[in-house]
Amino acid sequence: MGCCYSSESDSTGTNGEITEPLINHKNPASKPPNGTDWVTPNVPSARTDEQALLTSILTKTAQNIIDVAAAESVMMEQHEYMDKARQYSTKLVVLSNSLPPKKALGLPSLTSQPHQVLASDLVPYSDVQQVSKIAAYAYSAISQIKVDAKEELVVQFAIP
Amino acid sequence: MATAAITAGLERIPDQLGYLVISEDGVLASAGELENDEHTAGVMMQMVRTACRFRLPGSADPCFKRMSVILEDFVYTVTVSGQKVFVVKRQNNQHEPINV
Repeated sequence: MGCCYSSESDSTGTNGEITEPLINHKNPASKPPNGTDWVTPNVPSARTDEQALLTSILTKTAQNIIDVAAAESVMMEQHEYMDKARQYSTKLVVLSNSLPPKKALGLPSLTSQPHQVLASDLVPYSDVQQVSKIAAYAYSAISQIKVDAKEELVVQFAIP
Repeated sequence: MATAAITAGLERIPDQLGYLVISEDGVLASAGELENDEHTAGVMMQMVRTACRFRLPGSADPCFKRMSVILEDFVYTVTVSGQKVFVVKRQNNQHEPINV
């Protein structure tokens, strides 16, 4: 998810696996993806504790914030877009060719004795009622899910 | 299995009010209250296709043998075997209302 304050989980997929970029660029951009300059967390021993603390705060803030203004300033020439598009589509063609052939969309066989399955007793009333009740509870729970906006997603920094 | 053998078995199902045998190409056989009921055939086909897409994690095959569409007076029981969808409309003798 690419929203603010989610940088800690940016590099991990939903299964906890590291998602690799489709194309690894030889010359990565000089700026990190969140648009801020890298802040070196290594603090020389000469600095005071206060400075070290400040640096760590800066590092943490830089990791947690996506600088929208800086991201917008990164302009790409049209031919660069075209090159990237071509590169990605070539890569996709290669990857899709290596995929196993798609399974036929036919219906799966649920049973080899359809008559027995269809003639067996109907689902007991109590089971149907239980399933209906659970479905109603789930529907009610889902309808009560709300997004609670706590703070602004984009904020202006007042730099003196 | 010949169509006659398939339908003979369906006729013997207790409380059956009608049945449909459907393939990918359309209705193969029909009788009773479902005779020539192309509309129900289409709806049941869509429902069973949707139900077959639900898989439990780690299992490649659908985890059910029969789909039951339960209404107040009757039940549609549906299964798939040998690329054919079997729909049997059966009387529902459990008359208690379902309160949701």
